[in-house]
Amino acid sequence: MNNAWKLIAQQTIKCMLMLLGSVFLVNQVTGREHQGSGVHQQTNVTGTVRSSSEPLAGVSVSSVANASVGASTNDEGNYSISVSGNDTLLFSFVGYVPQRVAVNGRTRVDVELLPLDQQLEEIVVVGYGTQKRANLTGAISTIQAEEIQTTTHSSLAQKLQGKVPGLQIRQNTGGPGDFDAMINIRGFGSPLYVIDGIVRDGGSEFQRLNPDDIASISVLKDASAAIYGVNAANGVIIVTTKKGNKGKTQFQYNVVVGMQSPTDMPEIANAAQWMEMRNDAAVNAGLPPYISKEELEKYQQGLPGYESTNWYDETMKPWAGQQQHTLSAQGGSEKISYFSSFGFLRDNGLLKSNAIDYDRYTFRTNLTADVTKNLTASVEVSGRYDRKDGAGYSIFDIIRGTISALPTNKPYLNGNTDYPTHITDGQSSNPVAISDPNISGYTQDVNKQFQSAVTLTYKVPFVEGLQLKGLASYDGNSYLNKALTKSYKLYAYDEAADAYNAVTLRHPTVLGNGYSDMNRVSLQAHVIYNTVLADSHNIGATVVYEERNGWTRSSGLSREFQYFTNDQIDMGDQNNQRTSGMESQWGNRSFIGRFTYDYMGKYLFEAAARYDGSYRYHPDRRWGLFPVVSAGWRISEEPFFKDNVSFVSNLKVRGSYGLVGEDAGDPFQYFPGFTTSGGGGYEFSNGSYVSGVAAPSIVNEQLTWFESSIKDIGVDLGLFDGQLNLEFDVYQRDRSGLLAVRNVSLPNTFGGTLPQENLNSDRTRGLEFAFGYAKAIGDFRFNVSGNFNFARTMNVYVERGPFVNSMDRWRNGQANRWSDVVWMYDMIGQFQSEEELLYAPIQNGELGNSREMVGDFQYRDVNGDGIIDGEDVLPLAWGGNPKMFYGLTLGANWKGFDLNMLWQGSGNYSVRFTHAYAETFWGDGNLPAYFYDRWHLSDPYDPNSEWIPGKWPATRRISDIGAMYNESSVWRRDASYVRLKSLELGYSINQQLLQRIGLQGLRIYVNGYNLWTITDPFVKAFDPEQIEGALNTGWVYPLSRSFNVGANLTF
Amino acid sequence: MKTRIFNILLLSVIFFSGCRDVLDLRPLDKLDGETLFATPEGVRVYLANLYGQLPIEDFSFGRLGFNTANVNTGGIAPATQTDDAANSEFSHLLDGGGNFQWWDQGYKLIRDINLLLETIPSVTSLSDADKATLLSEGHFLRAFTYFALVKRYGGVPLITSVQQYTPDVESLKVPRSTEKDTWDFVLSECDAAIEYLPASRTEDNRRATKWVAYALKSRAALHAASLAKYWSKAPLSGPAVSQGLVGLESSLANQYYEICIEASRKIMDEGGFSLHKPTPASPEEATVNYMELFQNPNGAAGEVIFTKGYTNPGSSGHSYDFWFNPNQTSDGAPHPGRMNPTLDFVDLYESYSNPGHSMPIVTTTDGNVTDYNGFNASKTYLRFDTPYDIFKDKDARLWATVVLPGTEWKGKTIVIQGGYIQPDGTPKIETKDQITVNGATYYTYGAADWTNYSGFEVYLGNMTRTGFSFKKFLSPNPVPPNLTYSTTDWIEFRYAEILLNYAEAVVESNYTANGAQATAKDAINAIRRRAGHTVAIELNLENVLRERRVELAFENKRYWDLVRRRDYHEKFNNTIRKALVPVLDLRVSPAKYIFIRKNLSRENPLTFPTNFYYVSIPGIGANGLVQNPQY
Repeated sequence: MNNAWKLIAQQTIKCMLMLLGSVFLVNQVTGREHQGSGVHQQTNVTGTVRSSSEPLAGVSVSSVANASVGASTNDEGNYSISVSGNDTLLFSFVGYVPQRVAVNGRTRVDVELLPLDQQLEEIVVVGYGTQKRANLTGAISTIQAEEIQTTTHSSLAQKLQGKVPGLQIRQNTGGPGDFDAMINIRGFGSPLYVIDGIVRDGGSEFQRLNPDDIASISVLKDASAAIYGVNAANGVIIVTTKKGNKGKTQFQYNVVVGMQSPTDMPEIANAAQWMEMRNDAAVNAGLPPYISKEELEKYQQGLPGYESTNWYDETMKPWAGQQQHTLSAQGGSEKISYFSSFGFLRDNGLLKSNAIDYDRYTFRTNLTADVTKNLTASVEVSGRYDRKDGAGYSIFDIIRGTISALPTNKPYLNGNTDYPTHITDGQSSNPVAISDPNISGYTQDVNKQFQSAVTLTYKVPFVEGLQLKGLASYDGNSYLNKALTKSYKLYAYDEAADAYNAVTLRHPTVLGNGYSDMNRVSLQAHVIYNTVLADSHNIGATVVYEERNGWTRSSGLSREFQYFTNDQIDMGDQNNQRTSGMESQWGNRSFIGRFTYDYMGKYLFEAAARYDGSYRYHPDRRWGLFPVVSAGWRISEEPFFKDNVSFVSNLKVRGSYGLVGEDAGDPFQYFPGFTTSGGGGYEFSNGSYVSGVAAPSIVNEQLTWFESSIKDIGVDLGLFDGQLNLEFDVYQRDRSGLLAVRNVSLPNTFGGTLPQENLNSDRTRGLEFAFGYAKAIGDFRFNVSGNFNFARTMNVYVERGPFVNSMDRWRNGQANRWSDVVWMYDMIGQFQSEEELLYAPIQNGELGNSREMVGDFQYRDVNGDGIIDGEDVLPLAWGGNPKMFYGLTLGANWKGFDLNMLWQGSGNYSVRFTHAYAETFWGDGNLPAYFYDRWHLSDPYDPNSEWIPGKWPATRRISDIGAMYNESSVWRRDASYVRLKSLELGYSINQQLLQRIGLQGLRIYVNGYNLWTITDPFVKAFDPEQIEGALNTGWVYPLSRSFNVGANLTF
Repeated sequence: MKTRIFNILLLSVIFFSGCRDVLDLRPLDKLDGETLFATPEGVRVYLANLYGQLPIEDFSFGRLGFNTANVNTGGIAPATQTDDAANSEFSHLLDGGGNFQWWDQGYKLIRDINLLLETIPSVTSLSDADKATLLSEGHFLRAFTYFALVKRYGGVPLITSVQQYTPDVESLKVPRSTEKDTWDFVLSECDAAIEYLPASRTEDNRRATKWVAYALKSRAALHAASLAKYWSKAPLSGPAVSQGLVGLESSLANQYYEICIEASRKIMDEGGFSLHKPTPASPEEATVNYMELFQNPNGAAGEVIFTKGYTNPGSSGHSYDFWFNPNQTSDGAPHPGRMNPTLDFVDLYESYSNPGHSMPIVTTTDGNVTDYNGFNASKTYLRFDTPYDIFKDKDARLWATVVLPGTEWKGKTIVIQGGYIQPDGTPKIETKDQITVNGATYYTYGAADWTNYSGFEVYLGNMTRTGFSFKKFLSPNPVPPNLTYSTTDWIEFRYAEILLNYAEAVVESNYTANGAQATAKDAINAIRRRAGHTVAIELNLENVLRERRVELAFENKRYWDLVRRRDYHEKFNNTIRKALVPVLDLRVSPAKYIFIRKNLSRENPLTFPTNFYYVSIPGIGANGLVQNPQY
């Protein structure tokens, strides 16, 4: 107890000292400022400041000679100031180009201020604060609400795709409620997500945010992320939600409804094609024909009893609906402002059984109140309930069924829906039956989220520019899962007995409930100080103390049903109940500091650091310092440049360098404990099973985070008063301390394995380019913007044993080579004749070329030894992760009409399917129709008939093939693509018209998503963006194309 | 006002930073050693982990290792690597000496056992007697583990303490001991186990006892003795041989046989064990008795020496019912019918009318049992009314071990038929077809729909291709068709094995002391009596070995018997195993069954190279050990 109090006291004193220390520091700085003032001979100067002939109120007017002398304009734009006659006046106002005017003895000086390029004045949310875009020294991109909303999709990721330079997004699968898009910054990995200043959740939660609630998103792409310390090595995505504004309440109702269908699906062989190819396979293997000529002709003619089943159409709908609604209110009084919203989204699935769908309800209230003159309080509360329904079998099994089920089988025996057919074609079960919740059960995932934060901001009255801020936040998340795995019966028909024989599958029925509860508390104390010294030295300092901790509890339970009654746990059997449960906890504590300095907005400098402590590591090694320095030079602000190159409105070069961390491996790896998992168990007496505890493995107390050093050099260029903006960055990230097992050859009699250590390193390098152009010609306004990012990662050091020989080094060496490169055979063509086969190098091992046939793929004998084997593979393709991302947005406005078009593309990657998509008769199931274009005998019933060439080799079963399935460009395809990601046409109805019926604004629009794709024709049918999924099968929920109609109503 | 606000801010900082240290957390899923070993209960859960890892070759043991009940093994049981059975789908038998590999896991277990042996002396809450018992239990576990290693690899590094990690890995390397020293170590560990283990336990009665340690000693000594006697049948050469790391002098044989005899005799004389239901009134009763011994060993306490229990269906069960039921009684399991007892095996059984001899199934009037060329129209086949009449008079244990064609299992008549001979004499064998004769429709596989037969069709590998399906150990009740739902317990040591070990050791060493010859003869005849045989047979090697193979069939002994006696390479020398195909003969009316002895369909000839007698040692590069011959 005593110790605990001592600790608390120590902690408290530490924090107080820190806080007081920083206050003292800033006081000193401001103190010095006051010493600089003095008094001189005065004349009174008056005048009016205007912009576009409108008077400007609040413009600051100051003496250049004496910074302490200043005034500001009143509502009519008039000012009055006492300065010496030879002084120069500086007129400055947010959003306008500052102007210096020499008094030259005059008593009246009127001035016209020019508005600044807006973009440069934009306030950008950065880590623990905001900054003016013009002053940024880091690589930070932002996107505003309007730009996000031009695409309609249930996932926020898809609404951002292609729009933010360096933000790499790929939609992996298309299932409603999947939210598994790959989001990464510059090819680094999963970023850190910060929502309203608090580190919250991951990519899946981010994708579920209601986009109508978002004001802006900032992406920290370089070492400016270091202010977030550990786990910011992959960059940071900062979301800022909408806040209230003082003024009349404005209600907004946004609605969009639409329908979606798969972008594409490979066509599957019909019954006649399947029979022809199956027949080929028998003949090609030297066996008698599979089917008699007469029977085959019946299939070809589709006679009664010989019809083809299209299993995809039997299982899936051609399209599914989606809808999104958000109702919000925004406004405020003098002291209180608020934003409040409620949203609903429904995304329906494509299954005919309607087993798959997704619903989401969200609310958010952000409230800000001026409690006293200097104290502001804000409360932010948001919540979400979402539910994802799925079938009793995974989409993997269902899609497999639609491909592998033979077209000669039927979903129901004799068309009788009481008797779904038992099939096992291609290891699949009847997809119509297994996708039906009434037959095989269902899954349901419910996610409930509550997030809250209270912030107090205090402007310290006796120190100008000093603010104190305290923030406390609690987030809770609960996840409930229910899965009913039903036992069901499928049938086989016994013609002789006219009987339906039942086959029971998945007995017994199992019902499972899973529950987990997550809690997170974040506490922050900020000291913020900003000041201007001698009118030209802008100084900012921020010090933050932060601690975050969380705890989770999860449990699961299940029961079996010998006889299924109802989907309630209590209705299940008493025997064979199963339960599980675990808790976990985590904590982080950090000290953060940032210092910014600029001289007249010309020379920019920033230094920041985070001292981060993590619970995960050994107490002696859990604290790390993550600093960043960055600097910029706005050349365009230099007189020599300004005066000579007038068409350049902005030119800035900037650079940054910093260290960031990333958590390595599981927590508590330093702790050598016995564990209850991983140990065997034993039944020491009949019926009583004793769970064992496993002995500890060797631990590595030294384990720590990966360390990344990130360098970035960038140029920002604005031309023609900001009409054209260009940004160019090159960057490099070096990671060290990646986990690997040390290559000491521990004898395998030791009885244990070495733990992972921080040994390996890699390097990611990339470049990034963005441009924007906007122009107005009369009523017509248009804008074009584009972005491009290319990044690759190279292994630098890879711990491993010595190479056996130079071949081993060439083939298996990884160090200093790009990662994600695939080695494969160089396919040089197809065998055109038996003779060609005879003289070709041996490509199928011990079997020689005995199984190769005309039309089979031939590979290059790289080393010329007459044998094509593992020594002939070459690094010929990129692997599955795109290295290049680009996007192009075109927008236009004319008399209430607006048009937005987004093109998006990725490149330098490949897709590789296996199983049914890349093997004929995989598991003796059906096969894609593309294989029908094949080498085949003109008459399969005449072995001497002529070969007819085709795109694919002669059809065979897996047991009869040669080397045709070897990894080569046949099977691994370049998946680079460009697609018209979204197209939107809107019309805003005339306001005066609307006001008559009490509305403030109404915009209606139509849009489409994933409308058109240019890519390899083979890949197109699978959608190049989609991942191959488990086992590289491609059996995933297809990506969708959608058409939508929406309206934004303001009243 | 201002100061008040500032104070509030300051207080809140103090509040949230001062209350606790968020970094000072401990993992919730780990226990520290001091806590665990402070109490006997903690020691017990650690022991459960050791027993759980013990290399018991039970239902969950196969080509892929131990404890593989929840793995899709393709239903490849150890028996299918021998001449006892074939897998319905996979023909491969032996994978290049990597078979039954168990090295890293073995040394991990040894490390875990050594940790127990080193920790027990310092546990203050235990009495000295308890400590001695626990230490003996540790020696038993270590003996069992090294036995599993030595029978695979020959001599291995003997590591008897917990090695501490140091980057100087050279100091961690331990060379192989000779094969002789390794066997002697196993036997001495058995002695250390016997010393303080209790004769029986009232609680935790499935933990090791003195008799379990004796049983292990009996088994290990017999293994070592046969190796010594027969090693030169398949001699190997190379550094491992010249250094004695593999191989035993034949002069050692009798000494090991004697150890086996003594250990076995101790159990026979003092253990108080007996055969389960030793004197059935009829072969039918013997069949039932023998089946129930394996369906529920807990009902046969007299015979069981050491059991490995299975308890929770769906988590800690095994998968025998999942893989091995005939297709018709799969209860919905997708891949049943995997274990197909071979004709080679069925031929072995005695018939009651001719005791003391294997009685191969005679199918033709010429009595030729060596023609495996398939149906031959010129031969005269014996015709039977039912598909099982041909097995009448065969040993009760055949009926209890194997599902014979046309017999009842789990309430269904198991249809195993490979074809028919059309009235015109055309054979349709192992092909799907149907024919209507005199208004009745006949199907080659015995029924129209695949759910109604269990043999010969190539359908998902679910049908037997030998003509026999497997029955021993299977539950007579429905079992959910998922992996790990079987809970039949496994008998690792039972009294019958001890009797057979004893008889073999006596015969092989021609041991006579203590009335050994008569005792051994009684031993094998006691086992036969339990199987319904009433005529005693002579004590000779052939009788002992046949009795062993029949009695212990599918108890995963056959593989090691072939190895230790160096019979494997002779049995499997370009060998194809055999099937018995029941065929409906439609040339006569009413139709009758004939049987065809033939080579197994879809089977590659199998050969056992002599270097496979030792498994190759993995990780030679790092452990610096001498590799086994010819790897």
